[in-house]
Amino acid sequence: MSRNAEAALLGVTAIVAAMGVALVNFARGDWLDAQVALTFMVFAVAFGSVNAAMRRWAPTASPYLFPIVALLAAVAFTEIYRLDPQLASIQRWSLLVGAAVSAFVLFLLREEGVTVLRRYRYLFLAAAVVLLLLPLLPTDWTVLRGAEVNGSRLWVRLEVLGRTLSFQPGELAKVLLTIFLASYLADRHVAMATTNRTLGPLRLPEPRQFGPVLIAAGVAFAVLIYQRDLGASLLLFALFIGMIYAATGRAAYLAAGGVLTIGGGIVAYQLFAHVERRVFSWLHPFDDYAGAGYQIAQSLFALGSGSLTGSGIGLGRPDLIPAAATDFIFAAVAEEMGFAGSIIVLAAFSLLVALGFGIALRTRDVFRKFLAAGLTLVIGVQAFLILAGVLRLFPVTGITLPFMSYGGSSLLANMVLVTLLARISHGEQA
Amino acid sequence: MNGPVRHLAIALFLGFALLVGAVTWHQIIVGPDYRDDSRNLRLVAGRTGRERGTIITADGVVVSRSVADPDDPRVFRREYPEGPLYSHVVGYSTLLFGSSGLEQTRGDDLVSNRDATISGVIRAILGGDVRAKGLGLTINHELQQLAATALGDQRGAVVALDPRTGAILAMVSAPTFDANDLLGGGVAAAGDALAADPDAPLLNRVIAETYAPGSTFKIITTSAALETGVAGPATEFDDPIALELPGSTAVIRNFSRGPCGDGDSVELQRAFARSCNTTFAALGLEVGANDLVSTAQAFGVNSDVPFDLTSLASFVPATEEFDFNLAGLAQTAIGERDVRVTPLQMALVGAAIANGGEIMEPYLVAEVFNSDATIESVTEPVVWRRAISPATAATIADLMELAVTSGTGTRAAVPGIRIGGKTGTAEVPGGPPHSWFVGYGPVEADEDTPQIVVAVLVESGGDAGESATGGTVAAPIAQQLMAAFFGVPLAD
Repeated sequence: MSRNAEAALLGVTAIVAAMGVALVNFARGDWLDAQVALTFMVFAVAFGSVNAAMRRWAPTASPYLFPIVALLAAVAFTEIYRLDPQLASIQRWSLLVGAAVSAFVLFLLREEGVTVLRRYRYLFLAAAVVLLLLPLLPTDWTVLRGAEVNGSRLWVRLEVLGRTLSFQPGELAKVLLTIFLASYLADRHVAMATTNRTLGPLRLPEPRQFGPVLIAAGVAFAVLIYQRDLGASLLLFALFIGMIYAATGRAAYLAAGGVLTIGGGIVAYQLFAHVERRVFSWLHPFDDYAGAGYQIAQSLFALGSGSLTGSGIGLGRPDLIPAAATDFIFAAVAEEMGFAGSIIVLAAFSLLVALGFGIALRTRDVFRKFLAAGLTLVIGVQAFLILAGVLRLFPVTGITLPFMSYGGSSLLANMVLVTLLARISHGEQA
Repeated sequence: MNGPVRHLAIALFLGFALLVGAVTWHQIIVGPDYRDDSRNLRLVAGRTGRERGTIITADGVVVSRSVADPDDPRVFRREYPEGPLYSHVVGYSTLLFGSSGLEQTRGDDLVSNRDATISGVIRAILGGDVRAKGLGLTINHELQQLAATALGDQRGAVVALDPRTGAILAMVSAPTFDANDLLGGGVAAAGDALAADPDAPLLNRVIAETYAPGSTFKIITTSAALETGVAGPATEFDDPIALELPGSTAVIRNFSRGPCGDGDSVELQRAFARSCNTTFAALGLEVGANDLVSTAQAFGVNSDVPFDLTSLASFVPATEEFDFNLAGLAQTAIGERDVRVTPLQMALVGAAIANGGEIMEPYLVAEVFNSDATIESVTEPVVWRRAISPATAATIADLMELAVTSGTGTRAAVPGIRIGGKTGTAEVPGGPPHSWFVGYGPVEADEDTPQIVVAVLVESGGDAGESATGGTVAAPIAQQLMAAFFGVPLAD
């Protein structure tokens, strides 16, 4: 497949998005309007520019990644437009910004590829820590301030030119942390894989090699305590442990991670009311139907009402689900596009994860291999965590669904993430 | 190093497989349960704002209609021009407070199918009528108004029906509410306030509440005796002041606290007209639990009544419950203890007597009409069940007529019309009794003469309080309805 085929697929997704908007209009009893054309244009321009940047700066990169991203974005955009056209117009801007930054990243990495990033790992680590801490800025600062939304301290508001820009720095921090980890592990994986004793079936590395695991647990727990963000906490921890395992192949790290997860989970359940509440509403959503269980109950009603083919775009009531445009966008898609739509979304994510791991497997250089595996883990674990929450396999963790949830920070960070994956695949022969 | 990466990939794929399983479970396997869950607002939500059909009474009074919003002709607002009078019959359909009445049970007919769903589009293409259908009720507006006025602010229920067809002529439950309050904004608050009201205005007492039937149950006890041949109208019974119940220290007394007749012996028909508890408790013991229970069940007790509105089944305990409880059997025979009936069920008992022993299925919707006023379908009367033989029905009819001419039911008499009826005064622990009347007219009517059955229940004595009886509180309400039905002016 070539860049032309990629361009053709991206064109199809632009048509999908535009047709979705048209269907929403029809369902409202309106006719085609400027929104339809505007949506087509934005998708075409955004992903067209990514395609153009790839032709120039990474011509042999995997051509499958961005069509899948664009398809997920198009399906979700239809639902976001259906829920709130104003959110949709902001999301269109986010898409354009995300594409521009992706193209710019490709430009920056045009010479040496992602390998150049390896050198700046402590810069990235510092930047990631600063980004993670930013929301803790006092809320009464004028130009730059932290903000609390729905009980979680994840937001930063920036006043520029009389407007307030809100963003979630944690979204970008996860990409920077992945780069740091890949770089760190590329240097240390041999030592960390060396084992000199056993514990039952487990071969144990030197005790001091568990240091990074404890640091990871500390960071994850700090995020949980200071930002009250269960999702990001779990995601970061799973990313750390997953990458250490990928680099060392030592099950001992997985075991340590598992013990810390369970132990931390129990402590968090005992200490934090918000964690306990989420676990309770997961186990018994209908016991407190009007209160804590309302969101998950509405999600289940949406899923059930969607059935096989869905209510039809614009004809369901996804507006009844709290946070339908963000965390619960999957439930909205499942209601209006049915089981058919749900399976398409799950298939697309599976395909994206398969592509990512495929890139990691084919890459010979360890840093890029670890980076590809880590970036793929971020997407896969994040998608799994929130989908498992929506589908009641797991307590709701309150993180975004990559490429689908409304929100500029999430879209931007995940597009950069896929851009890095694509850049890694450039130059590697299949 | 590719090994661990593969393991991670496999772990994530297993996770996604789990998600596919979960989505299949929630959307396909248990999906219909979520979809139909009463807390799922989508069923109602999808219909709010759409045009709903007009509902009119048998005499053409509009009780429910949809009016287009002047600002947006695609959005309709429901109106109930008669206010509270029909709120229990027609009910309401809200997004935030559920639905009830015909608005709920006939929602599929009432709501327009003119939407963009695939089935709606196919129906429209095939030339099907997708506009909202209207309902023509069996209710007579004049009788409905009269029943509401007669009941006044007493808690209770009035139901009138045509025994030959089962068509409901009037159906009133008090206190009531105004369905117009359950529209638009503030529905949830208004609904919650109504639901919290201790007088339960949302409760349709005709079908959704059961009461001890008191002496009106003697119709069933007498039917059981006649059907089994245990006794006839002229059978003599001992006439004690109090009947001692076997295996119990309790005694049963008459309402008068004296004997039923001369204190020596009394004929069954005399005891029926005077509603003597001693006689019927003894009769119940003679009939036995098996025949008493099976006769009650033949009248429809313990069965769900097939009806346009969701109604509660009446209740009589199973035969075995009386095996070592003859006192309970004697009390059941006079409509006390555990037996419980809805006012609709008692009206159907009256209808069985009036209709030669056969009960027709009651119905509220006479016809469904299309938006162009053509008739889509007409309800055909259907036999629900045979309760008793025609001979038994004719004998009971005589007894009931006697009760109205010279017994407890004289206040139900309508000049010039042969009226039969049975009063009931059901003891309520710790409060004034419930007053009952079940009656009909004309007795022995030929086929061309219209007939009406009326059942009246006034809770807890109504305005009369402790001194209330079925004959003084409930019978006059039935009298007003029957007099109006026959066009007979009442003195007073």
